[in-house]
Amino acid sequence: MDFYYGMAQLIGVHTLLGLSAYVVLLTGQVSMAQAGFFAIGAYLGGMLTVLAGWHIVPAMLLAAAASAVVATIVGFPALRVKGLMLVVATLAFGEAVRIFWFNFDYQIAKGNIQVGPLGGEGFKQIRYFPENGWSTGEVAIFIWVWVVIVMAAIWWMDRSRVGSVLRAVGEDELAAQSVGINLTAVKVSAMTIGGFIAGLGGGIYAHYTTHIEHLNFGVILATFAIAYPILGGLSSVIGVLIAVIFIQGFLVEVLRFMGDWRNLLFGALIVLAMNVRPDGLFDARATRTIRRLFGRQDA
Amino acid sequence: MADFLQNCLDGIAIGAAYALLALGFTLIFGVLRRLNLSYGPSIMAGVFAGTAAYMAFNAGLAEVAIATVIGAVVVGAYIERLCFWAIRKDMAVASMVSSFVIWMQIEEGVTLLFPDRTYAFPGILADSVVEFGPFFLRASSLAMLAIAALAVLGLLALIYRTHFGLAVRAVSENPEAARVAGVNTGLVTLLAFACASALGGLAGFLIAAGDQQITPLFGLWATFKGLIAMMLGGMGSIPGAVLGGLLLGTVEANALWYLGVETRDLIAYMLLFAVLTFRPGGLMGQAALMARRAAESRV
Repeated sequence: MDFYYGMAQLIGVHTLLGLSAYVVLLTGQVSMAQAGFFAIGAYLGGMLTVLAGWHIVPAMLLAAAASAVVATIVGFPALRVKGLMLVVATLAFGEAVRIFWFNFDYQIAKGNIQVGPLGGEGFKQIRYFPENGWSTGEVAIFIWVWVVIVMAAIWWMDRSRVGSVLRAVGEDELAAQSVGINLTAVKVSAMTIGGFIAGLGGGIYAHYTTHIEHLNFGVILATFAIAYPILGGLSSVIGVLIAVIFIQGFLVEVLRFMGDWRNLLFGALIVLAMNVRPDGLFDARATRTIRRLFGRQDA
Repeated sequence: MADFLQNCLDGIAIGAAYALLALGFTLIFGVLRRLNLSYGPSIMAGVFAGTAAYMAFNAGLAEVAIATVIGAVVVGAYIERLCFWAIRKDMAVASMVSSFVIWMQIEEGVTLLFPDRTYAFPGILADSVVEFGPFFLRASSLAMLAIAALAVLGLLALIYRTHFGLAVRAVSENPEAARVAGVNTGLVTLLAFACASALGGLAGFLIAAGDQQITPLFGLWATFKGLIAMMLGGMGSIPGAVLGGLLLGTVEANALWYLGVETRDLIAYMLLFAVLTFRPGGLMGQAALMARRAAESRV
């Protein structure tokens, strides 16, 4: 049973990461900085519960807010560049964050052991859940409550005017600008929201793995973050969830029996999915089909 | 001051290798306008082909170099067919994500075939040192500089003096118009990709021969360094790639000397972020970017 709870935790955290990239991607920006925001949330969240002894919820919210502030600051200069150059600029930022944590030491004595982040060795003993007697199942439920809240919030945002504005910028910047949309405000807001969600996911991740190190937040995680919304499709938040389940659940777990050969097939299957469904696994047509199944006309 | 000059010499030596990697990147990007993250791993696969020839047949330097280049070209062509030819032209991000998963595939394949951490590689001029008064330079670095300079001249001649080069420039300028004018765009793209991979294979051979060893992590390293050097110089610009490579090498060597090994990569990423933010076209690509913007604003 613990295996399935662990699976649920992993899928939940990665869904949050994918959702953070989804919001930014709606405005047409491909950000490889999400792993960096995730790392900031993870380290700060861990430090607040372990070193400052905070309750986990305020710790996570403050860490996410800090990620959001960093995302805003990154958003402004990154606005000047587009497309591929934005990809590389944000990749550089994400790697800079990773190297920052690689060099960051801040340890205090707690009882008779030293706790806190220690450079290359990482941040061990983030034991908030075990110390407070949470079972694996309870942790999984806690994570999914957050996932549902964030998904519902983005779902609602998508259907409101805010979502239309984000998508308008993503579709055609020039057209959006000429109907009076402030591009700077929209793009920086999307970046800020993305940073907040990634920080939230990072805070949860640090607590359920209990040990984080800089290598967890490299280019692989950044690519996964952007791969989820692209593979899932930008028509709905459900796409992100489907892509996470497809990658983490199906490709990683179900193909585990293939041993070392799994990664070879893994790549081929994702490329195949991209070829067969270039707009994502859960594209606009799938949305329409489901609407029809429930007897609703196209909006 | 003497330290600084010696650092610059060391930096130029490693910068020559970065420049070669950046040239391959710039060629691919110039033609396809899409990013190939698997470029480094394809070089790594080529270098392992060279190692295999060295270990199995005790091949000489020239044969190892040929095996390296052929290996890189074969893997490069595989990537081009799967991630760029097969995926729709307007899905640049899907191509990037696909090239990333192919990276995982290549790395996994190589580690399965070569399970050890490092493998020996034949060296050229391994231990000799050239002295200029108080300064010195490894002979292998000098050889690398000379070969890099020859490669740049050869590439310039190929792109600006031959019929094939004209076709490459036409495809890069406007693929649709090139196709109408009777250029076989698919073939030209594949051949340009093969040229870039051959260049990368040459760079990989020179770097591995300088280090006299090779690890599967080389792929990551080559992608990052080549990408940063290309972006610094300006995407799609041949002189820019050389300038970017040399600049990156010099800055890294000085950062290593004055600030230490942990800060070196951080400085490199921050330099890249700053250049992209304040000069989005890179150091040499600004004019092209401005021309494109002017053209877009006229439309």
